[in-house]
Amino acid sequence: MSTDTSSTANEIIIQTKAEKDFSLINIISNEYFLYVVSFVSFIAIWHYVAAAQLLGKSLATPMDTLQEMTRLMTVKLAGKNLLGHIWASTRRVFIGFSIGAAFGIPLGLFMALNRYVNAFVKPLFDLFKPMPPLAWISVAILWFGIGEASKIFIIVIGSFVPCVLNAYSGVRVIEEELYDVVRVLGGNRWHEIIQVSFPASLPALFAGIQISLSISWTCVLAAELVSARSGLGWIIIRGMKLSKPEMVLGGMIIIAIVATFVTVMIYGIEKLLCPWKRSVD
Amino acid sequence: MAYENVKTQNPLLLKILPFLGIGIFFAVWEIVVDVGILPSTMMASPYEVIKLFIDKLSNPHPDGSTIGIHAWISAQEAVTAYILAFVMGTPLGLLMGWYKVARGLARPVFELIRPIPPIAWIPLCIFWFGIGITGKIFIIWIAGIVPFTINAWVGVNMTNPTFIQMARTYGASDWQIFKTVCVPSALPMVFGALQISLAYCWTNLVGAELLAADQGLGYLISMGRRLAMPSMVVLGMVTVGLGGAIIGVIVDILEKRFMSRIRR
Repeated sequence: MSTDTSSTANEIIIQTKAEKDFSLINIISNEYFLYVVSFVSFIAIWHYVAAAQLLGKSLATPMDTLQEMTRLMTVKLAGKNLLGHIWASTRRVFIGFSIGAAFGIPLGLFMALNRYVNAFVKPLFDLFKPMPPLAWISVAILWFGIGEASKIFIIVIGSFVPCVLNAYSGVRVIEEELYDVVRVLGGNRWHEIIQVSFPASLPALFAGIQISLSISWTCVLAAELVSARSGLGWIIIRGMKLSKPEMVLGGMIIIAIVATFVTVMIYGIEKLLCPWKRSVD
Repeated sequence: MAYENVKTQNPLLLKILPFLGIGIFFAVWEIVVDVGILPSTMMASPYEVIKLFIDKLSNPHPDGSTIGIHAWISAQEAVTAYILAFVMGTPLGLLMGWYKVARGLARPVFELIRPIPPIAWIPLCIFWFGIGITGKIFIIWIAGIVPFTINAWVGVNMTNPTFIQMARTYGASDWQIFKTVCVPSALPMVFGALQISLAYCWTNLVGAELLAADQGLGYLISMGRRLAMPSMVVLGMVTVGLGGAIIGVIVDILEKRFMSRIRR
């Protein structure tokens, strides 16, 4: 047993580390060991279910899926290889998300900072809020056809709402004392907004951006599943039409990887911009 | 008394603006369609939507069912999947928060499945379950289980360590601490997931029905597009929005009732 006591400001932190004996029960109950067990058994069960055809021919083995993924890397589908399709989806997400955030974040901030804007926009916003963005797909197709514009439109709608909501609540939950400090130091309303409202709402803004991005991925997939000639959603639906489950699964895995990558990237930017934020986890 | 309630009178403009906003919105919508700035093949006016709604109450043509049946099917799918997600996700999250073995075994699979948007499961669901109700419930269930699990997990993690240490001092077993300390203190977070999960479920319900369905509100929307009837599309969207809002209010009432029992 080793005990480490340290004191920072008025907090006392006590850390206790117990060294465990090297025994079988400790190895088995080690968390990282269990991660490996879980992962391996997941793959094994997947392989067994697929190879024994418990679900008929509608599930591919992990090996087949991997092979299909490497095949997609080289073979061109509809004029694009896998990287081309990944880029097609990511580009839509980024364009749509940027437009949605560029309108949504300022609107949310305006709503929180000015009660007249709030009184005018809030009821309208509440009217549209419960409508899922995917419900707009049909309208988007009626308005913009099945081209690029309709997909970007849905992503704009989907990413707009969380951006507004989080910008709004991010400013609303700022502690009054912070404003008092600026006023005591002789700042005017403009200083309050620039020095308190903007930086203090950043963590909430980033939470909104993460939600926006995950909704954007859902939207782009749905749009591509309904009508598209490129993108990851198209690969999945193509796999379905060709009855190739390995293609569907490969597409799903790639989506998971790309979405995780984007999430981690945004998380990194957030850490750079708001170093004071403490993680709840 | 040190404190005095001060009543502030809002300016008249603040009281009028909300109604003005909604009024202008509907007026512009009606005018834009009536004058023909947006052609009638692209947008329907509010009047046409209401007319179609009254018609659809009793008339199953041209999409096969009345609007009541569409809404009933959708609500059935969403609520079944939502309850299943709650019943399975919450215990999983609670166990993952407290027991290392549960966390070690469940976390990798959970983290593997989480980043895949539920919509991406649709093709596999069609392979496995056809376009019936089971596949849609599966997709909505996948969407709904994630917030339940994460919130329960975080809720247990956020338990005040002093309580746990005190329980340990009095010689409580792991299971007793879990049952009497961790679970009750995680409940606010668990109930907090009710609304989040509902929103996810409802969004993905529409997605699932757009692609694979022969009844339901999402199907109504996509039929409206195929038949080039913008009024039907808008009617579907409005009904989906209303339905989501109504279920949201019901969940809100339930949540408040549960919460009032916790916070004595």
